Amino acid sequence: MEIDDPVTNRNTDAVMSESAPPFTPSPPVPASRLAQLTESLKLEHQLLRVPFEHYKKTIRANHRYLEKEVTSVVSSVGDLADNNWSKDVTVSRLTSLVSRLQGLKRKLEEGSNVENLQAQRCRARIDHLDSADAENITEWNNTKLKRILVDYMLRMSYFETASKLSESCNILDLVDIDIFREAKKVIDALKRREVASALAWCADNKTRLKKSKSKFEFQLRLQEFIELVRADSYKQAIHYARKHLTPWGATHMNELQRVLATLAFKSTTECTKYKVLFELGQWDVLVNQFKQEFCKLYGMTMEPLLNIYLQAGLSALKTPYGFEEGCTKEDPLSQESFRKLALPLPYSKQEHSKLVCYISKELMDTENPPLVFPNGYVYSTKALKKIADKNRGEVKCPRTGLVCNYTDLVKAYIS
Amino acid sequence: MELKSIKDAFDRVVNKQKLSYTKTHEIIQMLSQELDKALSILQEAPPPPQFDHRSILADVKKTFVENQLEVTEKELNVALTKYPKVLEKQLNSDISKAYRHNVEFDTHVVNQIIANFLYRQGMFDIGDCFLAEIGDESECSTRHSFVEMHQIVDAMEKRDLKPALNWAASNSDKLKQARSDLEMKLHSLRFLEIAKESQNSQAAINYARKHIAGYADSSSLYEIQKLFCSLLWSKNIEHSPYSELLSPSRWNNAARELTRQYCNLLLGEPSEGALSTTVTAGTQALPVLLKYMNVTASKKKVDWQSVEQLPVAVELSEEFQFHSVFVCPVSKEQASDENPPMMMSCGHVLCKQTINKMSKNGAKSSFKCPYCPTDVDISRCRQLHF
Repeated sequence: MEIDDPVTNRNTDAVMSESAPPFTPSPPVPASRLAQLTESLKLEHQLLRVPFEHYKKTIRANHRYLEKEVTSVVSSVGDLADNNWSKDVTVSRLTSLVSRLQGLKRKLEEGSNVENLQAQRCRARIDHLDSADAENITEWNNTKLKRILVDYMLRMSYFETASKLSESCNILDLVDIDIFREAKKVIDALKRREVASALAWCADNKTRLKKSKSKFEFQLRLQEFIELVRADSYKQAIHYARKHLTPWGATHMNELQRVLATLAFKSTTECTKYKVLFELGQWDVLVNQFKQEFCKLYGMTMEPLLNIYLQAGLSALKTPYGFEEGCTKEDPLSQESFRKLALPLPYSKQEHSKLVCYISKELMDTENPPLVFPNGYVYSTKALKKIADKNRGEVKCPRTGLVCNYTDLVKAYIS
Repeated sequence: MELKSIKDAFDRVVNKQKLSYTKTHEIIQMLSQELDKALSILQEAPPPPQFDHRSILADVKKTFVENQLEVTEKELNVALTKYPKVLEKQLNSDISKAYRHNVEFDTHVVNQIIANFLYRQGMFDIGDCFLAEIGDESECSTRHSFVEMHQIVDAMEKRDLKPALNWAASNSDKLKQARSDLEMKLHSLRFLEIAKESQNSQAAINYARKHIAGYADSSSLYEIQKLFCSLLWSKNIEHSPYSELLSPSRWNNAARELTRQYCNLLLGEPSEGALSTTVTAGTQALPVLLKYMNVTASKKKVDWQSVEQLPVAVELSEEFQFHSVFVCPVSKEQASDENPPMMMSCGHVLCKQTINKMSKNGAKSSFKCPYCPTDVDISRCRQLHF
């Protein structure tokens, strides 16, 4: 404030009130933390995509049904209008059409309700991502860990634990239990060597599978054919092939030929090329294929989220020091189980030195530079100063016992 | 990453879906009404000329012959196709790109880790259900320790400090070695309790003399001063400058510290929990690894599946730095037993191999430090131990 400047004197009051700094209630969050938060949100594609695919499927299925019904009603009306039916017949037909429309209205309502619930679930997840900020990051990460665990349990089919965990942590909206249950039904059927559920699933998702040029349905049909051959029902097999396999012939002729040739062999054949087609392991191949198609459809990863995060985390934390005997217990890799998991993974790589004081466990940086004893042992300035203040300027190396004066210590410069 | 564009795209989907619903409802309603009308005309009127009812229905047919739903459905379709595209643009659509497929995790080990985590969180019935569902006969060995820990913490939630104080007392040495302020926290809470329930402050002062005086020479001195000053308002602490001493967050902090020290000292586990730490580290590391995979995918095929060390540096935040890692500023290599850090007489530090290289470049006995123009004598370089 310049009191000797007569020109601005009149305005100093206004200037003073304006120049008072705004009161900042909390320290600003470092930009790196915010950037980290944004990056971690970007990993959540599966969270948003899965319920949306379900929602889209419901919308399309409902729409297809309604459109079909409405068109059929309109064409019936047209039929009545064009042809010369008697009045009674017309009246009765019209009445049935009217009640059909009533039923349709009800179906529309119900369908819309289901769609709304699914839309709500999608929105709940978007809101959940929105709710993450620097203040509640620990809690948000805790919820994330629980979500990841539920995903793992669902993939391993531990449905009871998954439900219990989701309920107790209030994350039912954030997990996809029903979708995994749907998948399990199909997988169980395939394991029982029944293709019916899998075929129904293919029919349900026909357009999507066609778009991705999937041949999963073809593989299912082939397997059914082989089972018929295995049971020696040749006539049925050929009939089946005519009905279900010929449409695929245009695109997959080689495979079709190969499998059809099994007709010439018995299921106990020793011919290696064809023996493999009869093996029961083919059903496991089908199960895997289903899982792949399923995950692709819903935008999910094939591997459990837990494994993905663990691999990345373990690698980033893996240092040779983590495997030493006296390793600090704060390092997760000091735990036997984590060491086992980390064994085949690559070590972490660092581009900048990061030094931790042996005494205080704090970082030794420019604000707390490292001090070096005459014997080469290094500790942080803050920790050594504390010790020196209590011991009349003398410091002792905790690891070697060497005693010297605080002033004898040399500062090291680590860039 | 813009959450807003995701929200907008989704709002559009919901709006179009509502429109489609309204339109469909409208059409069905109209159709229904027209048919009702036609029906009533036919039923009431005296037998009309034959073509009458046909013309009525022909009218109905004309109105509905075009598919009026088409426009709304098209708009809805556009919105439905756009949303996943927005998602893929804003978010990382495949986080398994950095996954090493030739590494199999032993499911048994993973399950034990999960069970341990559940017990640590106090979810005992869920943990038991988990172990039952996986059919694992072995029990998680840490279960009873966590049960005990949660009993102590639950008692604290009911404001009963006895179990906590007992535990702290029996592990006093370990706590001191770990430089934990748990005992001080617990004693101050007890002090405030006594001060609240007794008529005069004498009981509180006696307690403090017995248990808190020992901490006077540590960093807790300021805390002790606050505690004693609060005695002046013993009947009225809520309205004193020390009202924050009664806040529940002090209890939460003490409980948290107890959990951390219990895990660390008794069970030899990381105080924040190994699984949470690793997954959070993974959350920080994944974006870096995925970016690297995306960038190198277009270039030569790196044999990512079998490298010894990550090809890209992942800088985790401070709390994940458990060991000192020295990286030579010249060679960018991490120090090891064979290549330790050496400090030169000017105070700058390089790794041994770099120093050897720099001196052999001329086989001199001294060379210039790359940071400051001092002459460095090799024989006077000291090995550092972090």
